Amino acid sequence: MKIVELVLRNGTHRAFALFVALAAAFVAVALSAGLPLSGETGFSVLQNFATFGPVALGLGLTMLVREFDISIAGMFGLGGCVAVLVGASGPALGVAAAIAVGLFGGVAQGVFMTRLRLGSVAVTLGGLLTFGGLAYVLTGNRSVPFGNLEIALAMNAPILQIFSLRSLVAWALFIVAAAIVAFTRVGRDMIATGSDRQASALAGVSTDSIIIGAFAASGTLSALAGALLSYSLSAASPAGLSDVSVPAVAAVILGGASLSGGTGRPLGTAAGVLILCLLRTGLTALGVSPYVHEVVTGAILLAVAIADGPDLIRRVSDATRMPSIRLRASGPRSS
Amino acid sequence: MMEDAGARGPGAAAMRARSGWTARLKTGFPIRVVGLSGLLVLAAITPGFTAAPSLLSLVNTGSLIGCVAVGMTFITLSGNIMSFALGATTGAAAVVCAGLSGFGMVPALAGAVAVAVGVSALQGFIIGYFRANPIIVSIAALALIGGVAEFASGSRTVYAAPSVLDFLKGRVWGIPLTGLVFLASVVIGQVIQSYTQFGQRVMMVGSNLRAATAAGVRTWRTVTGAYALAGFFTSLAGILIAGRYGAGTMEYGAGYDYSAIAGVLVGGTAIAGGEGSVGRSFFGVVVIASVTVMLLLRGFETEYQYLFTGLIVLAAVLLQGRARA
Repeated sequence: MKIVELVLRNGTHRAFALFVALAAAFVAVALSAGLPLSGETGFSVLQNFATFGPVALGLGLTMLVREFDISIAGMFGLGGCVAVLVGASGPALGVAAAIAVGLFGGVAQGVFMTRLRLGSVAVTLGGLLTFGGLAYVLTGNRSVPFGNLEIALAMNAPILQIFSLRSLVAWALFIVAAAIVAFTRVGRDMIATGSDRQASALAGVSTDSIIIGAFAASGTLSALAGALLSYSLSAASPAGLSDVSVPAVAAVILGGASLSGGTGRPLGTAAGVLILCLLRTGLTALGVSPYVHEVVTGAILLAVAIADGPDLIRRVSDATRMPSIRLRASGPRSS
Repeated sequence: MMEDAGARGPGAAAMRARSGWTARLKTGFPIRVVGLSGLLVLAAITPGFTAAPSLLSLVNTGSLIGCVAVGMTFITLSGNIMSFALGATTGAAAVVCAGLSGFGMVPALAGAVAVAVGVSALQGFIIGYFRANPIIVSIAALALIGGVAEFASGSRTVYAAPSVLDFLKGRVWGIPLTGLVFLASVVIGQVIQSYTQFGQRVMMVGSNLRAATAAGVRTWRTVTGAYALAGFFTSLAGILIAGRYGAGTMEYGAGYDYSAIAGVLVGGTAIAGGEGSVGRSFFGVVVIASVTVMLLLRGFETEYQYLFTGLIVLAAVLLQGRARA
């Protein structure tokens, strides 16, 4: 019992436990229904992982420092468009340009919110619309094909049956981020900034740089993920090739992060992303229509948003308390 | 995070009280006025801007954005920043209105209003009662509304029964009904905000949630009410869209949430909540719509409107930050 309690208390462990349980259920259902389970299933889960994993990772880093980056979807689309437009003269150049745009966009947002003492939601709302608008202007409101098919094949070629270049890059990013958060001073400063910003600043943490850094990472990761997806699909669209914000936010909170900051580690986010990818692959295998995916992901996001609400525990305990006590307690504390 | 945005320093209010005029000079107010009047002048001197067709398109564009913006104002004022779901709500209201038009005018209108108010009030309840994050709840609602609507309509355009909704394209004294609905929404919204207890509570909850709770306001009811109102005004936009096109699809609603928040912020309502008004959003929407029409007249394609909306939201947010810093 004690081990179960320990596992459930830690957000990252909880996410992994959920993933293992879901994977077991997935295999059980697949075997009993006689569906084929092969390397391809794993490959498809990991391809999904590569698409929105890095975006979720970046968002998770901003939530770790108690901020919230809603510009990720805009940067994801912009990164893809920049990569395809610049990448016509050289794929490496395209990725570099996308990374540069992401880095610049992220740093600019970070600087604005720390200098002007603005909420991150407000600034990144402006960022979301501006990045999206830039993508529309750059592409002339069209989807742009990418002629280099060799790159697309190289991106998607299976490595060791279940991996591809794209998903290996995503895993590498997660491992690097996890190592930074777990073992370096920057990581500890991030956790401290997210847990109590004033106390961290008093203790000598340069909280402004930490926040700017988190947004720089978030912008870079989103742009890179968009660039790699565009390369692998041989196209870029200003409207975005895939809606990443809903699964990314859901994955981060499933992975143990909270809007109250300081919690949630990169590996927990990875588990959260895997949970959603597994669910998506499972639903596809069952042959349900694509709208069901949308509804299921939306419902999960709504559930985790309620679970993350600061008043949830108070409301639940109010509701389950004895009626007589509730009558007495509801006097001054009305809301 | 939300609280940081909501609870502003006590100095800000005191400074405003001491000297409204000089404080305004310091806070970027002139920049805003100069910038906005510059945009309006630029629009007015654009060739063809004052011609009848372009004014008509100004009224139509502005009114649809405007109805959503009046609703969005209540969400922003109540301290919940914005809703990403109002565009999808507009689309859903248009689909429902077109779909029910076979049963007659009243069921079509009532159905659209009921659906929009219902889904918005539910979001407001979740946000107010559990203090769930408004941005995340609205993103989840966007996915849910989109998924359910596409599923229900089989992602086809739903056509309205012939001539049931045609009265929405009519004119009264030469003014399109669309424009009159918008004006009425602004007046009703402003009256609710200024002259009702509910309006006062929205401002209280938006400027300081904890103080409002301590003062005995049942904050979750206020937040739910603010979202229900947002749903109501948004449904008007959906109904007008269904009338204009004689059909409804989710795509018709795309982008209204962004244009609406742009109008709200350009009007000068504080993104942190508790400060601003429906009337300000009216002027914000006029600016946004004028510039949209001007860009079209000057030969810029739609994509520049998207970029412009983004830049103007960013500028409005940064100016508000400058004012507080």
